[in-house]
Amino acid sequence: MNVYAIAYKNLLRKKTRTALTAGGIALSAWVLATLLGFNRGYQQGLNRDIDNMGFQVLLTAKGCPYEAATLMLKGGTGLRYMPEAVVKTVYKNPEVDRVTPMLMHGVFDPDKGENGAVAAYLGVDAGSFPEMKPYLEFKQGGWFSDNNAYMAVLGYEAAELEQREVGDKMLIPGVDKEITVAGVLKRSGSQDDGTIFLPIGTVQNIFNRKGLLTGLGIKVKKGADISALENRLYDLPDVQVVSMSAVKATIMNLVNSARVIVLGIAGIALIIAMAGVVNTVLMSVMERYAEIGIIKSMGAMPADIFRMIWTETAVLCGLGGAFGIGLAFVTARLADAAVRYFLPYAPNGALVALDWRICASAFVLIVVGGLASGVYPAWRAARVRPLEAIRIEGEQ
Amino acid sequence: MRKIFFAMAMMLLAPRAFAAVGCDLNDPDRDAARLFPGATYKTSYLSLKTSGGVPLLERVEARLGDKFHGLYETIDVPYTLYTMYKGGAAAGYIHGVNQKGEYGGIQVFLALDKAGAIKAFYIQKLTSRAAKALRSKEFAAQFEGLTLKDFEGYDPVSGKAPAGSKAAAIKPPAGAGADFAAVLRAVKKNLILMDEFVYSKKAK
Repeated sequence: MNVYAIAYKNLLRKKTRTALTAGGIALSAWVLATLLGFNRGYQQGLNRDIDNMGFQVLLTAKGCPYEAATLMLKGGTGLRYMPEAVVKTVYKNPEVDRVTPMLMHGVFDPDKGENGAVAAYLGVDAGSFPEMKPYLEFKQGGWFSDNNAYMAVLGYEAAELEQREVGDKMLIPGVDKEITVAGVLKRSGSQDDGTIFLPIGTVQNIFNRKGLLTGLGIKVKKGADISALENRLYDLPDVQVVSMSAVKATIMNLVNSARVIVLGIAGIALIIAMAGVVNTVLMSVMERYAEIGIIKSMGAMPADIFRMIWTETAVLCGLGGAFGIGLAFVTARLADAAVRYFLPYAPNGALVALDWRICASAFVLIVVGGLASGVYPAWRAARVRPLEAIRIEGEQ
Repeated sequence: MRKIFFAMAMMLLAPRAFAAVGCDLNDPDRDAARLFPGATYKTSYLSLKTSGGVPLLERVEARLGDKFHGLYETIDVPYTLYTMYKGGAAAGYIHGVNQKGEYGGIQVFLALDKAGAIKAFYIQKLTSRAAKALRSKEFAAQFEGLTLKDFEGYDPVSGKAPAGSKAAAIKPPAGAGADFAAVLRAVKKNLILMDEFVYSKKAK
């Protein structure tokens, strides 16, 4: 007598019930895999967005606006400068991996809009800045290599507004200097999209700001104590420290709170699946009370009956789990779009990041949870007394 | 059910894309009142892609006498149409286009009456050595009253208009060169688009 064959036949005997139970498990597996994928994808996306800032610490002259938007709001005024020598001072700190000097300059352009507007240029170091922002990809061309070249790299939106392509000329208002477009960046979803990058030496020359900087981006060595570095930087005269690590820590704390909720919902999905399995398998055992008694009277041991019922449970969970995870893969983009629609902020990249580890974890959780749920019905079936079962069947 | 399935399939399969940039008035309340005094406006968004697709693009290019080219002059560029109302009835339109100039993007807006004649000409943004002259009232005044018919013979590739035509009579500011030609191309393109989006449809 092969208990596995009996288990298999029993599942086929009640096809609708088998399909509905497997469907319920599949839905739970789908929810579980999607939530685990979302948990991973959101965290990855957030980490990527924050790391894409390029540097963890930004040093600016005290009171200097450090974003182009602020500069625009202030009408291109309010820039303050620090000497280039600060680069050497910062490099002396052991936590510092790399630094990149920047010089922002705003020019009033009377031919923008009815009353004119500010055009902002960001002077960057041709060597260190691209290394700090490896995620920036080019639609056309590439970075300039000379810090004194009269060349520009345009963020996609800046290029679109100016209708510029590689090789086109630009005219800097007020100073009547021509620059050539060396590269057009792809959209990055960051403030770089609207930025016009020039070599730092060129900005210093054109706007007569030799030896001056408005900002210094600092990338810290992996595992280094950023707080200790920041405390030392606070002691530098006339500079302000803008820490991206504090921003990251705050966001990650919020995300971790949300993770608990997401994992809680995933747990509920698992519990619902387990309850469904217990109910269905127990019902199946009760319906086959006499049949199990007959099998036992033919020589089957309690362990055989237990194995038979457990096999049914395992097959149901295996099929349902595999189908649900497949469904999660197919609907990942849809779930992604739905989450983006409802969330006020969603990082770039795939929000539901499913990989083999998550799929394997979800599958194992569903199968183990299902098998645990199958223990009680299998135990009940194993305890059936053959004579009693046959007598009850006879009375009915 | 099939429609829902189709919509879901489109969401799953559609590549992520960013729309192209359009040409909007920087301050519509102020600019619309200046270009069309005493009128209120309603904004709508149109594109060649949604209004007729490739056949429409080809028709516009044929009428313009030049291909749409470059990274930014594409079929999916959204055009903002400001329909102007006076006393509850449509009194005209304001419509702008982006045009590649010698040193930067040029944004050319036209205020048109119900028949398609230019009431006001406005360059919202321009980077040029002749910017001051091109944005002057004197230069803008030359376009008032002109229609698409006056630009039909203008060839944007050579930058020449038939002798004796009203387009040929527009005087270029000193030193404007390529940017003057770019402005005329933008005006012709603007008028053609308005004809395709609004006036031809009305005539039908």
